[in-house]
Amino acid sequence: MYYIKVDDLAFHYEKEPVLTNISFEVNPGDFVMLTGENGAAKTTLLRNILGLLKPTTGQVKLAVKNRSGQKLVVGYVPQQVASFNVGFPSTVLELVQSGRYQRGKWLKKLDKADKEQIRRSLDAVGMWDMRYKKIGELSGGQKQRISIARVFATDPDLFVLDEPTTGMDVHSREEFYKLLRHNSEKHGKGILMVSHDHEELRNYCNKHIELVRKEGLPWRCFSMDSCKELSKPHFSSH
Amino acid sequence: MFLYGFMQRAFQASLLISLIAPMLGLLLILRRQSLMADTLSHVSLAGVALGLLISINPTWTNILMVVAIAILLEYLRMLYRSYSEVSIAILMSAGMALALFLMSLNQGGTTLNITQFLFGSIVTISTEQVWMLLILTILIIVLYVTFHKAMYVLTFDEDTAFTAGLPTKVMSILFNVLTGVTIAIIMPIVGALLVSAVLILPAAISMRISKSFNGTILIGFPIALAGMLSGLVTSYEYGTPPGATITLILVMILGIMIILKKLWQGRNT
Repeated sequence: MYYIKVDDLAFHYEKEPVLTNISFEVNPGDFVMLTGENGAAKTTLLRNILGLLKPTTGQVKLAVKNRSGQKLVVGYVPQQVASFNVGFPSTVLELVQSGRYQRGKWLKKLDKADKEQIRRSLDAVGMWDMRYKKIGELSGGQKQRISIARVFATDPDLFVLDEPTTGMDVHSREEFYKLLRHNSEKHGKGILMVSHDHEELRNYCNKHIELVRKEGLPWRCFSMDSCKELSKPHFSSH
Repeated sequence: MFLYGFMQRAFQASLLISLIAPMLGLLLILRRQSLMADTLSHVSLAGVALGLLISINPTWTNILMVVAIAILLEYLRMLYRSYSEVSIAILMSAGMALALFLMSLNQGGTTLNITQFLFGSIVTISTEQVWMLLILTILIIVLYVTFHKAMYVLTFDEDTAFTAGLPTKVMSILFNVLTGVTIAIIMPIVGALLVSAVLILPAAISMRISKSFNGTILIGFPIALAGMLSGLVTSYEYGTPPGATITLILVMILGIMIILKKLWQGRNT
């Protein structure tokens, strides 16, 4: 069973090829790290997977149901979330609560369990005490943390994360990786994460996809090196 | 003043517009579509001109024209995704050009009517329009209460909304259509040239005060009401155009808010 299945994907911007020969799967319980140099079209690949862009050729399949047979819930943290509109009139709590809406709460009130999940998510990133702050008043690192809290509040089956640790210190990053690993190992969540910290992250993931330039391809076009299985060192989970 | 039927209708309409403005205004600002209201008001002038030319109630031609353009706007917004203001510039000029073209075909017989639509007039508000505005207000409140969570996510980040499974395209088109219908209905009161200011300013003011999304809308109601009512009274007393008077009062409130906030921040640092 897969959550994401990419089959020989190619993507062109206008007529210029930027991605070619991309094939991999993200299954329940996988923690997949996606790396590549700057401009390697990592975000473009994520946007293809999420349906925000249409592949030029090849296929992307996103599972409809999770492994329990319920509708698959996807949690997405876009790149550069720290630069979101400083004037947006919202408190930290409102933003993190909004992550919970896609759990069937668009038209219903949040219940006690939802509120508890929101509290735990904010606690996990150390932002509970700042829940009534306006998001525009936060620092870049704090904004990053609340966007992570938002995705944990969703409690998705599949995490799609685009450089979510930008601006975070080493300790916070490690805690975050441990939390993700716990989610993949213990709760069978699928995780696809773009990152530049591959040396740090490889200790937590079980697959590594690197986008590379290959000989014979146009200058701006990237392809996959391979989908490497990584050995998982043992960790004490949360 | 309150004994005149047209003033009673004007006050009823003002109350209803004060309820609509903060909700639509905030969403327009956050979707970076403040100028869309301006575009639609220019287009709605063309709708009025068409109605007057073919002798059909201009309110209906206006609504039809604005709804069509609101849908086209969303298509152009997608087409020029990185430069979405291009669609606004194109349709704003096209709307005004069409209005002038249709007016010239009318050989000047309805110049007075067009002037009323341009600058707004208290005496043009009919009972039918107040009823339409009431139905629209109820519809917008019901839609907002039902879908405010989805609209919050859509305005915060469209990609996140799409990933969360929201029908972002349909929501955007329906929002544009609703904005268009609102503009078509309130334009005779405040005037095509200032309708967007009346919609945008209350939310722009309350955004400077409130920290939260719903708080911004709640604070926007009394601000809009104060601006609308005082603007109408001033307009009646001095014979000034209502749209212009209301806009000037709201701009003054915005100025006072900015100064007070600066003083408050200065005191706390």
